[in-house]
Amino acid sequence: MPLRLLKFALSKEHPAPRFFKSHETPKKSYDVVIIGGGGHGLAAAYYLAKDHGITNVCVLEKGYIGGGNTGRNTTIVRSNYLTPEGVNFYDASVKIYEGLSEELDLNLFYSTRGHFTLAHTESAMRTMRWRAEVNKHVGVESRVVGPDEIAKACPQLDLSCSGQAPILGALFHAPGSVARHDGVAWGYARGADRLGAEIYQNTEVLGIDVKNGKVCGVKTNKGYIETKQVLSAVAGFTPRITEMVDLETPIVIHPLQACVTEPMKPWLDTILVSGSLHVYVSQSSRGELVMGSSLDPYEVHSTRSTLDFVEGLTSHMLDMFPFLSNVKVVRQWAGMADMTPDFAPIMGKTPIEGFYLDAGWGTWGFKATPISGKTMAQTIANDSAPDLIHSFRLSRFEDYELTGEKGAASVGH
Amino acid sequence: MKLLTCPMNGTRPLSEFVFGGEYRQAPDQDTCTDAQWAAFVHNRSGAPGDKKEWWYHSPSGTWFIAERNTLTDKVTRTYLLGQNNTTQEEGK
Amino acid sequence: MMFRTPKQVGEWVNRTKKINFTFEGEEFSAFEGDTISSALWAAGQKVLGRSFKYHRARGVLSLANHDVNVLVTDGIDTNIRADVVEVKNGMVLTAVNTSGGVKKDKNSYIDSISPLLPVGFYYKAFHTPRRLFPFWENVIRKAAGLGVVNFDYPRILKRKTHSHCDVLVIGAGPTGLTAACTAAEAGLEVTIVDENLQLGGSLGYNRAGDTSVMSRLDNLISKVISLPNIKVMSGSYAAGYYPDHLIPIVSEAGINKVRAKSVIVASGAFEQPPVFRYNDLPGVMLGSAAQRLLYRYAVKPFNNGIVVTANDYGYRVALDLLQAGTKIVALVDMRQTGSIVYAAALAKRGIKVYIGHCVYEAIASSDKSGVRGAVICPYDEKQSVALTDKQFTLECDGIAMSAGWAPAGALLYQAGTGMQFDYGVEQFVPSRLPNGMFAAGKVNGIFELEQRLRDGVRAANDAIRHLGGQAPQNDVEKHVGISPSHAYPMVPHPKGKNFVDFDEDIQIKDFVNAAKEGFDNIELMKRFTTVGMGPSQGKHSNMNAIRILAKIRGLPVEKIGTTTSRPFFHPTPIGHLGGRGFHSHRLTSLHDWHQANDAVFTDIGAWKRAAYYPAAGQSKEDAIQTEAFAVRKTAGIIDGSSFGKIEIHGPDAALFLERFFTGVYTDQKVGSCRYVMLLDETGVVIDDGIASRLADDLFYLSIGTSNAAAVYREMQRSQQMWQLNIGLVNVTGAFGAINIAGPAAREILSTLTDLDLSYGSFPMSSVRESQVAGVETRMIRVAFVADNGYELHAPMGQIPHLWNALIEAGKKHALCPFGSDTQRLLRLEMGHAMPGVDTDGLTNPFEIGADWAIKMDKPYFIGQRSLTILAKRPLRKQLVPFVLAENYKGEMPMDCNLVVDGRDILGRVTSISYSKYLDRCIGFAYVTPARKEVGSVFQIRADSGSLVAATVVKSPFIKTLKGA
Repeated sequence: MPLRLLKFALSKEHPAPRFFKSHETPKKSYDVVIIGGGGHGLAAAYYLAKDHGITNVCVLEKGYIGGGNTGRNTTIVRSNYLTPEGVNFYDASVKIYEGLSEELDLNLFYSTRGHFTLAHTESAMRTMRWRAEVNKHVGVESRVVGPDEIAKACPQLDLSCSGQAPILGALFHAPGSVARHDGVAWGYARGADRLGAEIYQNTEVLGIDVKNGKVCGVKTNKGYIETKQVLSAVAGFTPRITEMVDLETPIVIHPLQACVTEPMKPWLDTILVSGSLHVYVSQSSRGELVMGSSLDPYEVHSTRSTLDFVEGLTSHMLDMFPFLSNVKVVRQWAGMADMTPDFAPIMGKTPIEGFYLDAGWGTWGFKATPISGKTMAQTIANDSAPDLIHSFRLSRFEDYELTGEKGAASVGH
Repeated sequence: MKLLTCPMNGTRPLSEFVFGGEYRQAPDQDTCTDAQWAAFVHNRSGAPGDKKEWWYHSPSGTWFIAERNTLTDKVTRTYLLGQNNTTQEEGK
Repeated sequence: MMFRTPKQVGEWVNRTKKINFTFEGEEFSAFEGDTISSALWAAGQKVLGRSFKYHRARGVLSLANHDVNVLVTDGIDTNIRADVVEVKNGMVLTAVNTSGGVKKDKNSYIDSISPLLPVGFYYKAFHTPRRLFPFWENVIRKAAGLGVVNFDYPRILKRKTHSHCDVLVIGAGPTGLTAACTAAEAGLEVTIVDENLQLGGSLGYNRAGDTSVMSRLDNLISKVISLPNIKVMSGSYAAGYYPDHLIPIVSEAGINKVRAKSVIVASGAFEQPPVFRYNDLPGVMLGSAAQRLLYRYAVKPFNNGIVVTANDYGYRVALDLLQAGTKIVALVDMRQTGSIVYAAALAKRGIKVYIGHCVYEAIASSDKSGVRGAVICPYDEKQSVALTDKQFTLECDGIAMSAGWAPAGALLYQAGTGMQFDYGVEQFVPSRLPNGMFAAGKVNGIFELEQRLRDGVRAANDAIRHLGGQAPQNDVEKHVGISPSHAYPMVPHPKGKNFVDFDEDIQIKDFVNAAKEGFDNIELMKRFTTVGMGPSQGKHSNMNAIRILAKIRGLPVEKIGTTTSRPFFHPTPIGHLGGRGFHSHRLTSLHDWHQANDAVFTDIGAWKRAAYYPAAGQSKEDAIQTEAFAVRKTAGIIDGSSFGKIEIHGPDAALFLERFFTGVYTDQKVGSCRYVMLLDETGVVIDDGIASRLADDLFYLSIGTSNAAAVYREMQRSQQMWQLNIGLVNVTGAFGAINIAGPAAREILSTLTDLDLSYGSFPMSSVRESQVAGVETRMIRVAFVADNGYELHAPMGQIPHLWNALIEAGKKHALCPFGSDTQRLLRLEMGHAMPGVDTDGLTNPFEIGADWAIKMDKPYFIGQRSLTILAKRPLRKQLVPFVLAENYKGEMPMDCNLVVDGRDILGRVTSISYSKYLDRCIGFAYVTPARKEVGSVFQIRADSGSLVAATVVKSPFIKTLKGA
């Protein structure tokens, strides 16, 4: 047992302090107001303080921290994207993730398990090759592998998928990992709090004051806050925030669902994704299979569950793993994904001075948590977006210069 | 599974339908600016609320309009395009 | 069978059928109808399982699937819920998640090091130094998990059925049965569902020693059975609520998806344990579990027990135990008041009652396999503390616990019911029900039997009126008197081990410490402590967790709220949910022929297409080259039946096409064909094809296979908006198509038709209708795979006849069937870019050099306005035809290899192939506009990293390289 747990056995009083202070009412003004206390918003607060010395910052969270998509995703971290811009960006995220447990001194259970994107058709194989080529070029470890290598990593997988969709190969991405999603939010919250940022839960933004094209304040259910810089980092709530500043974006909200089985002893060591069968699955450190599928087919601002989703997903899980017939699904849930037409995020400055957007993460915001926090902090501190996120700018739509991650998105994650 | 009422075929399970996005009126392409057109083709009114949407009943090939609240997922009316009997203004 | 009692009225076991089975290597016997747990308990086996985290010995807690103390495996299946699964003859069972057996689990040492494992311990350690984490992770992963999955478990295909009803009643206790009868008597179609194999709910076991209630239950059940419009589904649970009253009912046989017009939730309540040290020892169980054991299975929970209670229910339990011959050492009532209703009955039986006392801790027997006594203390109900200076010990071999209830409100929550906390019953009750949902009985905060029956009638009447019938509105008064639940039945202990969540081994101090670390919101607390996250999803723990958090924060319970309820009510097997599986494929009418001729198939959209026909031992590459070569030298024939085929009828047909596609069609002559290209409104290329004008008012459109359904759908939508005078018919499935191409194609065809096939009268890009081999055929002269090609479209059913006739006629010309992979090579030789292969989701027509296909001077077509914007912007990339060096023998690049210039990516290869006919490697690639001119050279990086030079040429390749 690690020695650091000894203090818990030896001390009478629980020796761990609060992760972050509990504040009553926000101050009259802040240098920066961050809307959204998920991983992204909290990471931005942390890096504003750590990298730029900006600590007069508050994070406003309508519910509880990490309660949105941070706590609803299936915790997969990877960088095997299709465009060089995407690969570079997510690779930077993976690199921060790898040292994040130590940096935040919180065990995020960042576990590198390898990630297979299975291809059942020739056209899927083409996309895998495309991704592998771009990944290799940028220096990310991805390659196309044949059925033998898949079988070696996951001998339990039925390579014929019950004869319905034989696996031709896969894109293998060695750095593919899973992590404890809640821990990421909590770790950044603690880090930001220690450096001076203030976190307000149960604090809802009711309006954003814009005068002469510039942000000047935020109305909340806990009073008015003066500020010149506002970051919106609210995932599925983005359209509600952008509406407050009359900003049009392409974002529409679709639910993304997931489910989890009861725990079993570990057997699935890798992360598996099948685009054709609309399945992604990994086994958590608790022993549960964590599974997801493709996006819900229509717009709803709701985290309701559907039976179709779980029926479709489990049916395809059985094609891959017929022996799971009597393993039981304990719970299904959903998050709200903010989708963009090119499946790439929208980050950086907006036509409103002092209003910054960190949005459009669709189904993969969790992977980007560290790097989005870092680059948004940089954008706010310098009032200018770094090159790394240039191709994710909002103005790309007016410029007809979309980013083209769609190819990797058939059922990404 | 949710139910949806096709104006031609009655109430059917949602699996028979395809979502076609919000019903929107295009700006006049001869007079609008490039920026207005780019905004039309790319931007969406993503905030929750009552929307007019395209839905398609696959087995019968029927496109129709559904008025649906995207927050509650409640459908109030469905009708064929142009056969909305109220005086409500189209596509705002 | 040392704990088996004499026959109980209404018992569920069949004493005439004896069953033998083994558990952990020991032999046991049982009666038919026993569950695994009841059979073991009857035999005196008390350690039935080990807990998830600390590996503590566990026995029966709820006997109702509200906990997972007892999970077993039969070597085939795992995580079997022994409390509710019937034991079968010959079963060979062991407990899951033990090391060395349930009695001597080697992992039980973890219990003794539990101080080292504080709440959330895994966040606090193992991550530094980083290199050691994989080691610790492996240890933790191995320790976690419950049962071991059997990789040889068969795929079980369970049935899914559908049914409809006016009223679905969930729960067949007295409330639900009454509601069902009332609704059925009003003529409604009623379905009643209950997870238990027998009806009656708590009425069957909550007797307070008085078995006369059983006749009431019998009457109710007979009435239900006598009503023909009630469908009873027992042994089935309502797994979740989905919109528009869709409720999947899960049973052993499969899932029945019930679509109800209204739903009455009469699902009762889960009993919640009082929390004291060692409340998890085998032998300490819920009062309702003791009753279930006794009356359903005729098993005494213990011989010499204590009842600890914080409501009146414990008194009823005590009376039941007495009736069964169990000695009651004492009844310990945590309340200051005691029971007005039952005090006398107990006094009459000489039972010692300690009012205002609590069990401070249960005392484990020497081997920790059970209980040998309890430490009793006066209890300060206001401060919720035991007054330990006045403690005393009582000996016993079991403890029954009753402290209160939590509503089984999962489906109500999932349906969006507003719940509020009712202090009269210390429980959340529905305050705002969704349309068509009704709640009755305990889940509605109504506990007293007569009142529950009235509430059942009331709910049924509400449902009847909701469905348009006539029924009185009879409100049922709220619960009066003693609350069935205690506000805070917790007994702190400095040494802890007072369990709140038995699935996850969570104690009171874990909540306190989590709150200290800032996780003082119910959702954060759930996530940090994992309370309610185990397989029983908080059924026995969530309510206590809420009470503890309220106390920590000094807030009323309703301010704490609840965590979100989600499907499933009980964990539901993947095999049930997945059902039989469904993979739809479309086959052409020539599928059997392809199969008989050894075709290799490929999936294109929903279709199975023949990709190529390898001769015995022939490689894919060889087969494709052979087939393609035949088309160039003699003739080839391909089944194109999967192509999208759409007819556009009506006077405005040409106008419709002009708006829908990029080209011009109003001046197209009857009998001629034109290229069509479809864009979306952003100017991206979606698909292309051929429009053949068969008459002034009839176009026949053929488009690619995979997009056909979507293109047709968009045509229909456009027509809805444009309201032109046309009709659209999707004839994709009605017509098949055959393409015969090559130098000998015309000659072969001419033997089967009277049509003049001379190039003068049937030129390129024209269409004719004529008989071929006696079949009415639409013949289109296209140059997709070869200059001299004919597409023959005919009714799908006649295609085999036509095909066979062509094959026969082609014999002397070495006519060769070819597949869709070969077609890819042939069209490449012809220089045709394919949407979806040579384009991606963002490609505009300028980037593929299709400017010629776009008629910008039309008033409107889809994507036109965006093209005017794109035309002003510099090109970002350009698709170019290229060749590799003559006689290139190096590493063959593949499609998707990148076009690079040092570190810069200039583009990628979209198609590449060696062509035997041209004896050259040819392809398409995207490059930067600077390299698009004929003669430009660029570098392709092949898989191994080697750079391969490619030169831009003019297309079609066949013309450039062969001059043909």
